[in-house]
Amino acid sequence: MKEAHTVSPDSRTGPPDTAPRHRLEVAELSKAFGSTRALRGVHLRIAPGELHGLVGQNGCGKSTLVKILTGVYAPDPGASIAVDGQRLALPVRPMHQRAAGVSVVHQNSGLVDDLTVWENVRLGHYRAGRLSRRINRRDEQRATEQVLARLDRPLEVGRKVGQLSAEDRAVVAIARAVQDHRPGGGLIVFDESTRALGRSARIRFFELVRSLVDEGTSVLLISHQLEEVVEATDRVTVLRDGTVVEAGLRTSEVDEVSLTRMMLGRHLVTHGRVGSQVKDEVVASARGLAAGPVTGLDLDIRRGEILGLTGLIGSGFVEAAEALAGARPADAGTLSVHGRDLALDRRRGCTEEFVDAGVAFVPERRLEAGVAGELSVADNLTLPRVRDRGGRLRTGSAWQAEETAAMIAKLDIRPPHPQAPVHTLSGGNQQKVLLGKWLAGAPNLLVLHEPTQAVDVGARHDIVDAIREAARDGCGIVLASIDPVDLAVLCDRVLVFRDGRVAKELSGELEQDAIVQAVFGDDTRPQEEGQND
Amino acid sequence: MDVTSRQDTGTPPAAPKAARTGRLTSASALAGHFASRYSVIAIWVAMIAVYAAAEPGVFLTKGTFQTIFGSQQALVFLTMALLCTVCVGEFVDLSVPAVFGFSATILPVLVVEHGWGVWPAAFVAVLGAIVVGVVNGLLVVVVGVNTIVVTLGMGTLLGGIALWLSHLNTVSGLPTGFGKIALYSVGGLPISFYYGAALVAGFAYLLACTPLGRHIRFVGANREVSRLSGIRVDRIRFGSFVASGALCGVGAVISVAALGGYNPTTSDTLLLPVFASVFLGTAIVLPGRFNPIGTFIGIYFLATGILGLQLLGLEAWVSSVFYGGVLVAAVTISTLLRRRGP
Repeated sequence: MKEAHTVSPDSRTGPPDTAPRHRLEVAELSKAFGSTRALRGVHLRIAPGELHGLVGQNGCGKSTLVKILTGVYAPDPGASIAVDGQRLALPVRPMHQRAAGVSVVHQNSGLVDDLTVWENVRLGHYRAGRLSRRINRRDEQRATEQVLARLDRPLEVGRKVGQLSAEDRAVVAIARAVQDHRPGGGLIVFDESTRALGRSARIRFFELVRSLVDEGTSVLLISHQLEEVVEATDRVTVLRDGTVVEAGLRTSEVDEVSLTRMMLGRHLVTHGRVGSQVKDEVVASARGLAAGPVTGLDLDIRRGEILGLTGLIGSGFVEAAEALAGARPADAGTLSVHGRDLALDRRRGCTEEFVDAGVAFVPERRLEAGVAGELSVADNLTLPRVRDRGGRLRTGSAWQAEETAAMIAKLDIRPPHPQAPVHTLSGGNQQKVLLGKWLAGAPNLLVLHEPTQAVDVGARHDIVDAIREAARDGCGIVLASIDPVDLAVLCDRVLVFRDGRVAKELSGELEQDAIVQAVFGDDTRPQEEGQND
Repeated sequence: MDVTSRQDTGTPPAAPKAARTGRLTSASALAGHFASRYSVIAIWVAMIAVYAAAEPGVFLTKGTFQTIFGSQQALVFLTMALLCTVCVGEFVDLSVPAVFGFSATILPVLVVEHGWGVWPAAFVAVLGAIVVGVVNGLLVVVVGVNTIVVTLGMGTLLGGIALWLSHLNTVSGLPTGFGKIALYSVGGLPISFYYGAALVAGFAYLLACTPLGRHIRFVGANREVSRLSGIRVDRIRFGSFVASGALCGVGAVISVAALGGYNPTTSDTLLLPVFASVFLGTAIVLPGRFNPIGTFIGIYFLATGILGLQLLGLEAWVSSVFYGGVLVAAVTISTLLRRRGP
């Protein structure tokens, strides 16, 4: 696929400021939600016949950008979006978007399994008979066949989409996206749509995408899989915290490691490592843990130890962490915390025993699983302890006020109002509330999943300090993260997962580059036959 | 050092800006805050003033006061029953009035047609309502069936059974002594008014001040957060259905005692007032949140409005128009209140 680079975009892009030369030109795009600024002055230029990658951490604003392109959100005033030199009226109206030739393939391809190929492809395009208002099935099928023929991927148009392979489903989604384009025109946005594809299916997918691009169609590929971004795209734009940190970088000049560094902005982190605080006593040990792709995992976590779990998405490190915390029912395994045995394979998914044993979990999706946004800072901070510290008939106000004040001070939660609903806080402060909710209970085992994700640098500083302090106080900590900065700065030991197994264990002085190498590196890369359609 | 690093990153602008706008708009915010909590009460006072002016000598009387505050006990119990499940995030329990009617039919049928004593009959009536709550809870929480479908079906089923038990007639003839438990006069109002007030106060206390109430609010706000915090979410949801059934049963016994009998065809007419009051309650005291005291005030707000219109000579259709209109308005207001913020 590398030979695709021979079709260099150079010949077509020309000087960057002749507007009509751009298939898509986004300028000064900002979007604020309340006090959180999801996008700040974003510029994006995509040339005709270019495969452009867009990468960034979760919460960096990628999905907000797509939602503005599709008209779900209205951008803040001052933005401009132009396709082939023609400015679109904002907010984008779906009809204008389609007329301009911009189509989006969403994360799960946006296909309806119960409908047939032609019904899915023509959805939203049906032409009804003038009098009967009936859909002319024959015509629609023919139109679908024509699009598929253009893609050179004939499919049986009468089959249910649910019965197709992941690869063919991607073809259907692409067919739907390109049917309005005149050959060689238009822009397709793939928003994390390659996730379901196995390795060989992915290669065929990119062959198809590349053939469209060679005709002159532009593609914006939004993906977490840096490997495919590096292999497939011509240029790449990197978003971080709502701003563009690298615009239209030639992909031939980057690799996964340098992209990761740009996404995370390592130079902003001022933390050094501090000495290890690991004590001899084992505070928690898991035996025979099986969850998702993970089988037979044994772990020992000592007092004061920060153990990192990392790997590619789907490698199983997330499942292992969630199962350890009791948040996800494991297939098998036991956890012994501070002398107390807990079965990990419980079906009902109730975490009461884990909380009682001093196991705390800081999940990744903070507003879905971490804190209740409509309730107050104080209520959220004290929630895990109201049962034990309160009487049956009274929650008791003194200890709550004391604990809330202590956590607001310790983590520097702003604004420092105990009664403010959590959703009115910025993302970083929400994360502090979530962390403080568990730290106030002095847990034995603290499981963290991406604790500094989508958090500004100041909050990140406070959070890192608080995690270290918890370790110093004797808590065993499991940090599940894809962020090599966090892992290198915090961890005493890092387990790198691949295909459900621990592929590598790093310890001692941890280097970010060593972690990134271990995650993406060739020595742990699976063989070519590893496909999972 | 960390102060400078924070200013570098451009994150703090949000914080000072928020603080500044907070100070500038604090007066209007306070006014808005006050308005969103007590505007319904202000409308209530205004409504009373209008009726008093339009109906001098008729509206502002002790009789009117007694009618309004002495007649809504069934509604108080039913709204609290609905609040049980609404507070834990089960949005629409449509079976509440039918469970009430079911219990209210069992009691007089057992006493009048089968010669039971009133107390055993009352016990069975309450027990029947609790059993219905258990069945609803099993189907919704354990099996995972959609709440609307289960309770719509259950409500219709129980309504039918009640009609069958009563042979489509009013069942009456309870011993008059039994009526005392509801009608005994205290300070000019029947004692059942105070039962209702005590229930509301107890429920409000439970939600605001006890660990169980805190758990209930979190389950209602976010089930996954609650589960991960060690709360037994399913147990609380199941319990709320059982408690809802029990409140319907107790409310039915008190209402039947007051009426001396029951006509099961009247159950359906309670559905709309129950929902209108509960949703109107979200615009009172704790804006955007289902709460017992707001609901209690909402009930008497609606009763005042309807009685006033009836005294003005308008007929029975008034209550449908009024309750329906208030339900739509109240749901709209509560949706808008919930939507504030990002």
